[in-house]
Amino acid sequence: MTTTLEHLTPVGAVPAGGGFHRRLNFFTALISGGLFAFIAWALSHHFLNSDGRGFSDQVTVLASIGWVLGFELGIGALTPIGRWIIGKDQVHDDELYLAGKNMGVRRHWKYCTDHKVVGVQYIVVTAILLGAGGILAMGIRTNLMTPGLHFVNQQVYNSFLSVHGMLMILALIVAVAGPWANFVVPIMVGARDMAFPRLNALSLWTLVAAIPLLLGSLAIGGLDMGWVTQAPISEQTGVGFDLFAMAIVTFTISTTVAGINTICTVMTMRTKGMNLERLPIFVWASVVAAALGLYAFPFFLVVMSFNLADRMVGTSFFVASQGGTGWLQENLFWLMGHPEVYVILIPAVGALMEITTVFARKPLFSYRTALGSMVGLAGLSALVWAHHMFTTGWAPSLGGPFMVTTEMISIPTGLMFLVILGTLWRGNIWMRLPMYWVFGFLFNFIIGGVTGIYLSDIPVDNQMHGTMFVVAHFHYVFVGSVLFGAIGALCFWYPKVTGRFLDERLGKLSFWLVFVGVQVTFLSMFVSGLRGMPRRYSSYEMIFEHTNLVSTIGAYTIMAGMLVLLGAVITSWTGGEPSGPNPWNSKTLEWLVPTPVPLENFEVLPVITSDPYTYGEAQ
Amino acid sequence: MTNQNDNKKHHREIFIVWALLTVIGVLVGLYATPWLMPKSASHTMSMGILTMVIFTVAAAPVAALVYAVCLYALTNWRHRGEGVPADGPAIRGNGPATTLWLVGSTVLTLFLLIWGLGLLGSDQSAGAKASIEAANGGSAAITVDVTAQQWLWSFSYPGTHVKSLDLYLPVNKDVEFNVTSKDVVHGFWIVQMGIKVNANPGVITTTSVTPDKIGTYNIRCTEICGLNHAFMMTKVHVLSDADFQKWLASQPTRI
Repeated sequence: MTTTLEHLTPVGAVPAGGGFHRRLNFFTALISGGLFAFIAWALSHHFLNSDGRGFSDQVTVLASIGWVLGFELGIGALTPIGRWIIGKDQVHDDELYLAGKNMGVRRHWKYCTDHKVVGVQYIVVTAILLGAGGILAMGIRTNLMTPGLHFVNQQVYNSFLSVHGMLMILALIVAVAGPWANFVVPIMVGARDMAFPRLNALSLWTLVAAIPLLLGSLAIGGLDMGWVTQAPISEQTGVGFDLFAMAIVTFTISTTVAGINTICTVMTMRTKGMNLERLPIFVWASVVAAALGLYAFPFFLVVMSFNLADRMVGTSFFVASQGGTGWLQENLFWLMGHPEVYVILIPAVGALMEITTVFARKPLFSYRTALGSMVGLAGLSALVWAHHMFTTGWAPSLGGPFMVTTEMISIPTGLMFLVILGTLWRGNIWMRLPMYWVFGFLFNFIIGGVTGIYLSDIPVDNQMHGTMFVVAHFHYVFVGSVLFGAIGALCFWYPKVTGRFLDERLGKLSFWLVFVGVQVTFLSMFVSGLRGMPRRYSSYEMIFEHTNLVSTIGAYTIMAGMLVLLGAVITSWTGGEPSGPNPWNSKTLEWLVPTPVPLENFEVLPVITSDPYTYGEAQ
Repeated sequence: MTNQNDNKKHHREIFIVWALLTVIGVLVGLYATPWLMPKSASHTMSMGILTMVIFTVAAAPVAALVYAVCLYALTNWRHRGEGVPADGPAIRGNGPATTLWLVGSTVLTLFLLIWGLGLLGSDQSAGAKASIEAANGGSAAITVDVTAQQWLWSFSYPGTHVKSLDLYLPVNKDVEFNVTSKDVVHGFWIVQMGIKVNANPGVITTTSVTPDKIGTYNIRCTEICGLNHAFMMTKVHVLSDADFQKWLASQPTRI
């Protein structure tokens, strides 16, 4: 267990470097963020003219900028660059300290550059986002259990659904790419860390800084705009929106940094012999998704910034009476919003393909088809955004062309099915926990995909747009498919992270609860939509009573399953059955290093002579 | 050789499951879809329901194939016993299978596209015809101005002074809607007629329909528009032409 750097510091000791950084951790970041937010709030409160609503918009935005800056300072994200500016470069011991060498669990509370620590931190962040979004989903479903507003009022309901939507989108964007593109991708390509370890930590802690803003927007409340922040209602809604939009601005910085880092790592840090066609398919999925994110998320930044500018400083990007247009907001939003679906989906599918090869004990069926399907999806997804706008009245003559590009998406999506089914074909399928989620994914993604084709057809969309049918469709994609991929990936790589198996019994229980819950919730939601129930309704007519009650029961079942999973993850972390370094007998590099993975991963960098899919072939 | 025999056995058994599941899917498409959707009150809606049926029937064999292979894999290719199974056959792809899959999915997509584009074209030309009729003041078409605001709909009939909070329409006449909003974006949806267009402030959007059944139907808002979004609804009453003229005449000339 000697790493190449070990001889430079005494064995077992925390490195002597770090300087000022030694004093910093998550708690100093919270204090510093709070302090800066307060100072920004007090100053802007004092100096800016008070003119009703605009006043509080400006104060809120400036205070949240103060929060983010203070948080980054307090965690130490800016310390290395500050030292560089004053001429006190980081020395080797400082870098080792930043990497958390010999620091034990404590390093997870710090600005740590070790990609495996960042991966674990992402698991926790994803769990927090999913948990918060899930609690809001329970609030929404509880309210919809019966017609009439028996649980919360309209104001609270609208805030719940707006923040639920955005929390879950953020959660799913990071659910696979966050933990696993950080934890396993560098090892998979045979690298000692990410290309930019400090940027890696920066992206994680920027994401952490965004979460209190989003939850804070819920606390202030008054969010009437849904997650799509359609103008002009998003220009008129309460100050909660300023925190909501600043959370997105912060989040886009985090994802952009993370995406660049992933791409650079794969392009420049591959070990000898790891040419591009030998990359595990999950690495390609991470790269394609990161590249697509680099295209998509700037639109997110722009649309939120324009919206904030309209509110704060009197611009009129989206104000129809002053030369702007709400359609601009919708175009910008969906230019982000559709590619984003595939930023979310592609890593999940990549992870499931990886799982399928290992548990069917077969090579990936047509590696190039798999790669082509991902690239094809990514390319097409940039050309379909206006299918979210078929009924807005914007550019009716473009309906046909966008219908064509949208329906073409089903071709690369179909190829993804071919790859997974072809890999299962005549395999020796080992039904361990990760495989359950693969089959669950296949079952649900067909339903999510086919209903998507209905909606791409304009005459049908004219009926179905804005109804519960759409909600059920994209929940089959996001919950039924992406979340299944994320949980499958968690079950698969959990032994690598912890050295222990995720409890198989609890894991299977959670699978069945979530799987059955998804069918109950969203099949009946399809029926609500078919029968004519619009989405984002806080109350409904009696004809929708039964299907909504069933959906609510299903939603509780999903929640129960997720709680069982959470329990399994926590109890197995220290109490699970020990797994050894390669329990699944997989051939990708992350399984060939010791568990727990040592700092810098490899004692000697491996030389690669084939791809990792040599099942059944002479070695 | 055994491989080929094996493959034949797999193909035959998967085919049987696939055929069974396809039949179920087709039956669901043919009967469940129209049963679950609202009863149609316009040609547009009837065509929308028909499209749902056709798409479900077309999707049935695809979904059935995935489910059949999954079921077969779970039962026949499952490793029974402890520990890591032996490696499966080293199949790294299959050119003909991939080509067949690609061609099949492309043909299916093209079929759906041609159907959809054809329907879209006929809807649009019918809409254009209605708007020309309305502009010429022809008796075959009427125009209704729809104004949305938080949280109600109001309808006025150009050429008259009639304004109403319920929509009244004559049966079997082309209707052209000019839709706008006084405040935020709303979604104008006549549930049983299959038409929907957003009401945007400062802009007029249009849609058209020909109601073909006398009765009372629902209008609901489909874009979140604030606190009472869920309560922003009204009725549309489709009347015979004579009843409609009677209703128009009975309205006060000014509100």
